[in-house]
Amino acid sequence: MLQCIFLLSDSGEVMLEKQLTGHRVDRSICAWFWEEVIAQGDSFKLVPVIASPTHYIFQVCREGITFLACTQVEMPPLMGIEFLCRVADVLSDYLGGLNEDVIKDNFVIVYELLDEMIDNGFPLTTEANILREMIAPPNIVSKMLSVVTGNSSNVSTTLPSATASCVPWRTTDLKHTSNEVYVDLVEEMDATINRDGVLVKCEIYGEVQVNSHLSGLPDLTLSFANPSILNDVRFHPCVRFRPWESDQILSFVPPDGQFKLMSYRVKKLKSTPIYVKPQLTSDCGTCRVNVLVGIRNDPGKTIDSITVDFQLPSCILSADLTSNHGTVNILANKICSWSIGRIPKDKAPSMSGTLVLETGLERLNVFPTFQVGFRIMGVALSGLQIDKLDLKNLPNRPYKGFRALTRAGEFDVRS
Amino acid sequence: MAPPAQSQRPSPSPSQPSGKGEVSDLKMQLRQLAGSRAPGTDDSKRDLYKKVISYMTIGIDVSSLFSEMVMCSATSDIVLKKMCYLYVGNYAKGNPDIALLTINFLQKDCKDEDPMIRGLALRSLCSLRVANLVEYLVGPLGLGLKDGSSYVRMVATMGVLKLYHISAATCIDADFPAMLKHLMLNDPDAQVVANCLSALQEIWSLEASQSEEASREREALLSKPVIYYFLNRMKEFSEWAQCLVLELVAKYVPSDSNEIFDMMNLLEDRLQHANGAVVLATIKLFLQLTLSMTDVHQQVYERIKAPLLTLVSSGSPEQSYAVLSHLHLLVMRAPMLFSSDYKHFYCQYNESFYVKKLKLEMLTAVANESNTYEIVTELCEYAANVDIPIARESIRAVGKIALQQYDVNAIVDRLLQFLEMEKDYVTAETLVLVKDLLRKYPQWSHDCIAVVGNISSKNVQEPKAKAALIWMLGEYAQEMQDAPYVLETLIDNWDDENSAEVRLHLLTAVMKCFLRRPPETQKALGAALAAGLADFHQDVHDRALFYYRLLQHSVSVAENVVNPPKQAVSVFADTQSSEIKDRIFDEFNSLSVVYQKPSYMFTDKEHRGAFSFSEELGNLSIGVEDSSNVVSAQIVDASDNDLLLSTSEKEENRGPSSNGSAYSAPSYGASSNHQFPAHSPQSSLAIDDLLGLGLAISSNPEPLPPSLTLNPRAVLDPSAFQQKWRQLPISVSQDYTMNPHGVAALTTPQSLLRHMQGHSIHCIASGGQAPNFKYFFFAQKAEESSTFLVECVINSSSCKAQLKIKADDESTSQAFSDLFQSALSTLGTP
Repeated sequence: MLQCIFLLSDSGEVMLEKQLTGHRVDRSICAWFWEEVIAQGDSFKLVPVIASPTHYIFQVCREGITFLACTQVEMPPLMGIEFLCRVADVLSDYLGGLNEDVIKDNFVIVYELLDEMIDNGFPLTTEANILREMIAPPNIVSKMLSVVTGNSSNVSTTLPSATASCVPWRTTDLKHTSNEVYVDLVEEMDATINRDGVLVKCEIYGEVQVNSHLSGLPDLTLSFANPSILNDVRFHPCVRFRPWESDQILSFVPPDGQFKLMSYRVKKLKSTPIYVKPQLTSDCGTCRVNVLVGIRNDPGKTIDSITVDFQLPSCILSADLTSNHGTVNILANKICSWSIGRIPKDKAPSMSGTLVLETGLERLNVFPTFQVGFRIMGVALSGLQIDKLDLKNLPNRPYKGFRALTRAGEFDVRS
Repeated sequence: MAPPAQSQRPSPSPSQPSGKGEVSDLKMQLRQLAGSRAPGTDDSKRDLYKKVISYMTIGIDVSSLFSEMVMCSATSDIVLKKMCYLYVGNYAKGNPDIALLTINFLQKDCKDEDPMIRGLALRSLCSLRVANLVEYLVGPLGLGLKDGSSYVRMVATMGVLKLYHISAATCIDADFPAMLKHLMLNDPDAQVVANCLSALQEIWSLEASQSEEASREREALLSKPVIYYFLNRMKEFSEWAQCLVLELVAKYVPSDSNEIFDMMNLLEDRLQHANGAVVLATIKLFLQLTLSMTDVHQQVYERIKAPLLTLVSSGSPEQSYAVLSHLHLLVMRAPMLFSSDYKHFYCQYNESFYVKKLKLEMLTAVANESNTYEIVTELCEYAANVDIPIARESIRAVGKIALQQYDVNAIVDRLLQFLEMEKDYVTAETLVLVKDLLRKYPQWSHDCIAVVGNISSKNVQEPKAKAALIWMLGEYAQEMQDAPYVLETLIDNWDDENSAEVRLHLLTAVMKCFLRRPPETQKALGAALAAGLADFHQDVHDRALFYYRLLQHSVSVAENVVNPPKQAVSVFADTQSSEIKDRIFDEFNSLSVVYQKPSYMFTDKEHRGAFSFSEELGNLSIGVEDSSNVVSAQIVDASDNDLLLSTSEKEENRGPSSNGSAYSAPSYGASSNHQFPAHSPQSSLAIDDLLGLGLAISSNPEPLPPSLTLNPRAVLDPSAFQQKWRQLPISVSQDYTMNPHGVAALTTPQSLLRHMQGHSIHCIASGGQAPNFKYFFFAQKAEESSTFLVECVINSSSCKAQLKIKADDESTSQAFSDLFQSALSTLGTP
């Protein structure tokens, strides 16, 4: 089991140390780790599970903060990594983001949270809803309360009733003045288009996110118009398995607040909403670049926040790129970023220019990959549609809201 | 490992206190507040506490404030309490005397009316971990286990485990395990049950070696009623507890297939859990359950494919990596089941190197007749990638696919196109591959040589690639017009050539070329032999001298030695033995999978209790048998050594697996013989070929194998080995002179391991560097469980081996010794 958890800042400083078992892990391990990071140049390049001379280390990096966990025994690797990911999620949820300052300002809360999340190296609860009842988040409301009441403790005096309830993710007696529930379909499109312009791979990873503010113990059922398109699904523990198995209906008692009800994958999509056509032609030490962007398959809603980024190969001395729409920036790390925004009605956006190659190089022999970003509000590109949402066990009619959003995930266009 | 200097490491933050001054300041302020009851005291205390703890966090030693902190802790403010508990927990171990002070207020808090405070106090009390204070723990723990609040019971169960680690005897005497067992089977709160399970598992498995009862109890955890009890409550458990239970269930052996199906039906929905750890634990269970049912096992693969692929695409990069490692293992086991999912293993631009590398290996594995074209097309795109390491890996992958396919036309064309890309690293990788390809498919030589001939040797700098090019120049001297002249220019630059491997290849190539085209090469050969004889590198020198004498002796013999007719290599050896792969598979859902080697090769000795080996192996102090006086400092060293040892081992194992078959040029050295399978004698020992000794050896009268048969699948865990080694007397102690072939093959400790494994003698630990090696072996009789243990110290420069054999049954130890020696004598012979 995990023996120790460290939080490191982006400069490798130990911000927090939490020993979990009788075996004390010396801090020197962090120094060792940081040297490895420096050797690799970037902690993102370091394998998440590595062996130091004395311990096995799990590492997860979020917003510049590195979460390290050490162990000396064999254990499921995903347990270590998954747990660290949850710690990161819970902390950023509690502190409203992750950075060095916010952790240093609130390290007492971080300690308290870790105390409840893991005992003797074994994870206990990582459900944010339950933790929030044990340890109040450091928000303005609780600060106000503490000023008014004079009780400055941020620990609730009562134990969460959920630990005793039959629905462990929810307290039994919740009361909201306005009952509302929002269901969001959030999809990411991963696509690879190869050098010949062929769509090699295109799939959607989607999540059903629910934000629920309902009183009592409501029982919800959510059904889709076309559940058969889903290739594989994963559920929040609150979802009952049988109704899904027999009728593809999501039946559940929701936790309070924001949570991920379901995630799914849809394979083998046939087309992408936009096209990106890069052309590179080399001649006598220069390379002409021309990139065209346009709508291929109109999703019916506006496509916005379109961006095209690519890494200039190291053999390029200088680049001169302009576009007829949007702005082109070349960043310090030789990433060329073209932000288009929306595609105008009257013209097709294009970026063109020349790259000057290293002396001695006739033609470009490494080809950059263009990474495309976009966002479409109001559409789930997989075609998944919510049929209806039924609520039972509610005192009064709640407000129901539905939204959909698709954005580009890993959308690569090779040249 | 570096000394712990970083506790004084300068912190970059400007608010870093200089040290002593601030601490004594704090001390003063705490003292002033200790007795004060004025309103607002708690707030100022809290600020001070925060300061103390932030110093502690930065790494400043604030242990001198211990007594002041304890004095101030008499408060009702729960945050203050928590901070104080944290502080006390951190420093109590170092200050057992003052820790006594805290016991009083912690015990009082354990009786607080608020369950939260009771729980927190109990947790802190158990976390003090001071051995002489355990007597104060028993009472509160006993009460805690019976507490009305599940929170307190949950803390108390973990507390029992903590107590056990401080003082096992106290824990057992207080009869806590029995209480835990009762709670485990009856408590309404699932988290309490889970904590009981994890505590009991640990306690009983540690106790099992000493107490019959504990090992019975441990067995009982796996009995049908207990397992069914857990399975029925599965949905109540938190996700982490589910992992724990699933792991336990994976050890249970169901009585018949109906039971297996019932269990799988019950747990099927766990495959759709949002927590990846639960999904993987379920997959492990399913795989284990169906191991003996081939059809179902295959269906399980089909069933788990989708959840695994979803996990890969849904999580953070770190999670994806861990899942991919497991997927990698499954793909390697059953590539054909994944052959239609190859697109999932396509690399995305933003993925990190380690993820891409795994994906490339999987793409290589799943390639078959139907998808090869698309996979190779995809791989070729990576070769032009901006990312150079990935470009290299993908070229190697193309080569591997070529080597495992029957229809290679298209692939060879692609490879040859790489050579035209004119990028030095692409050319280098491709040359190595073309060389391997030619060894397997000599019929392609015509096309390949035409392209390779156009490559200027000046553009090839990497030693491996240069060696490959030179090999081809020598091997195809007939077909390549200017081979002698290219070799000549290379020999002219002999002194600038840093790699001994290249120089060795140069010598051989020039010999081959000479034998085919004597008039053109004579000058080059002379220059090469002269340069070789003057070379400071022993091997190069020896080879030059050998060729020289060989030519002096007879040119026709030289022809036979250097240019014998060759058979095409049909199969390149798999670098990881199938047994190791099976072991890793058995350890599914563990670190073994990520490291790609079974846990016995890397897990820390501290937990398997085999320090004496690593200690001895670490410094090779032969004859130091006494491990009882190993002090703790050495223990840390020892485990360091051992881990380092295993990482270097890993690199050695990895080396061939990633590029091994690709790079194993026909290097005429015994060092490469472990890369060839023993069943292809022609290629297995090039040096024998070279020396023309193949026949002579097989006619050597081998010692007759004694009539003792060993169990080829014997297992013994390291702790049992160590225990036996301590208990048993030495029954045979012998010196043995090894034959020179054996010693020649012994360039790394691994070569002997593989060899002995073929004789049903298994290695449990090994180490050392040439010329001194040390091994511990074990073997079991085929019919009964009588075990033999061997310590074998080999000095390869003097060809001496010292054997110490210990046996359960001493009457057979001499027979075993003979068997061992006969096995040893065949090392290095085909």
